[in-house]
Amino acid sequence: MIDRFDLLILGSGSTAFAAAIGASELGARVAMVERRTLGGTCVNRGCLPSKNLIEAARIVWEASHPRYDGLGSAHVSVDFEALIAQKDAVVRDYRARKYASVADGMTDLHILEGDASFVGPRTISLDGRTVEADRILIATGSRPTIPTIPGLDTVPYLTSDLLDADEAVRLRELPESLIVLGGGYIAVELAQMFARLGSQVTIVARSELLRGYEPELGRTLTESFRSEGIEILTATRVERVSGDGRRVALAVETPTAGRILRAERLLVATGRTPNTDGIGLELAGVALDPDGYVVVNGELRTSQSHIWAAGDVIGRQHGSQMATPVGARQGRIVAENAFKDARRTFDGSVVPRAIFTDPPIAVVGLTEAEVKAGHLPAVSATTPLKYVPRAGAIHRPEGLVKMMASTIDERILGVHMIGESAAEVIHEAAMAMHFKATIDDFIDLIHVYPTMSEALKIGAQAFRKDVSKLSCCAE
Amino acid sequence: MTEPITYIDLGVGGMTCDDCVVHVTQALESVPGVQHATVDLASRSAVVTASPDVPAAALAAVVRATGQYNVFERGRRLASDD
Repeated sequence: MIDRFDLLILGSGSTAFAAAIGASELGARVAMVERRTLGGTCVNRGCLPSKNLIEAARIVWEASHPRYDGLGSAHVSVDFEALIAQKDAVVRDYRARKYASVADGMTDLHILEGDASFVGPRTISLDGRTVEADRILIATGSRPTIPTIPGLDTVPYLTSDLLDADEAVRLRELPESLIVLGGGYIAVELAQMFARLGSQVTIVARSELLRGYEPELGRTLTESFRSEGIEILTATRVERVSGDGRRVALAVETPTAGRILRAERLLVATGRTPNTDGIGLELAGVALDPDGYVVVNGELRTSQSHIWAAGDVIGRQHGSQMATPVGARQGRIVAENAFKDARRTFDGSVVPRAIFTDPPIAVVGLTEAEVKAGHLPAVSATTPLKYVPRAGAIHRPEGLVKMMASTIDERILGVHMIGESAAEVIHEAAMAMHFKATIDDFIDLIHVYPTMSEALKIGAQAFRKDVSKLSCCAE
Repeated sequence: MTEPITYIDLGVGGMTCDDCVVHVTQALESVPGVQHATVDLASRSAVVTASPDVPAAALAAVVRATGQYNVFERGRRLASDD
């Protein structure tokens, strides 16, 4: 028997769900295929579980490290098994409410479980069952990249999949010591989380922390992490990995010497790889780029006009990013392009992004390096957060905000912040940039005093004057 | 000699009640070349009886102009195929 649908979606993450909901509203009969757990990376083993545990780790850390004179430290005991169990409950509840029940409530949405593979441009084989569709969306997401390092394939290691609630790879015991391989956003978030819960953590990074972001952010974070007792080895190459289920050893080359690092567990967090292998894309005639990402045009169509791709599988094409809300937006665009001939394109020019470390990091728009590479006439202003009244009032003076502005019309082109509440503050910047705000727009807006959002007003004033001499309320 | 007739199968989105069926039917039947439209709420589909030169885009345009509904073509067949 052949099942026919108007839209077949490979994957069931945020991209897939947005596309399914959008297509269903437009009248389509939709099938979604998932080989792992419904909901994809974000809800099961990404954003949601990590943010749950990171907040718990913050509570543990702050109790034992009060920032105020007059407050004594307290010890919060960690029952790791119970902590993981509550995280699993949060994940399952959220998955049930935001994914499974949404799917149940939709007309003509069918969830198909199993391994799907193209056998032709319009035909998928799903564990022996044949499914056909006139339109197909590839939204298979990404997985942790596993680098080629001698010995790594012989040693048990963790990846960010440890956050999963339902798969065998999930972590159940807090490691006494942990080596984190990688210096990107996943590596730094998980490194600090484990350190604050009680693991002795060493980060091993090929370059600096957070390469690709404004360098000031990674530098500030490095200082902050070191002050918390996290060891960070930058510009370090791993030569060899050895060990067993109880211990792991890494032979590394730092810029100054060779070292052997030992720990109970190894966490590999060196990036994400698109899930585009093993699904028969060559039989569908879908072109990939050399890194395995699906090649798409601005309307998210692949080299086959009836097949679209969106979310993590398209990498950074057309201003895209690997991020849950980006995939969701693209899923909606695909639905409208496929069933409404909308010819919508994805606009990635204003996409706020956060890294949930402490201090947190948030960015939107262009970096200084991108401005220079594009030969855009622009200037930057970097303001330490110690000039933000709230930061001083609550003893959180660390961090900075760096803003890029066009020298032609003074429009703000990028905002990069590390410091208290950055992940919330960034939305003012993003909304302002969405409406093409200028330096004066940020300065003229009356901000609530004292809030961390004043960082944007003060950061904008730094283009005009010495902000160390501002009075109250940054006027 | 009779003109050739085509059946155009459509998916229909946005309908919630029988009034919607009436609105979509009227919209489809307002397109030049369309003889008849049968719209089904439960299956969210329609079959339009029309001359072969009626493009899907014309059907979609009038239905989308209502601001509430959407149609897209699933396929078409000649009446003689039956």
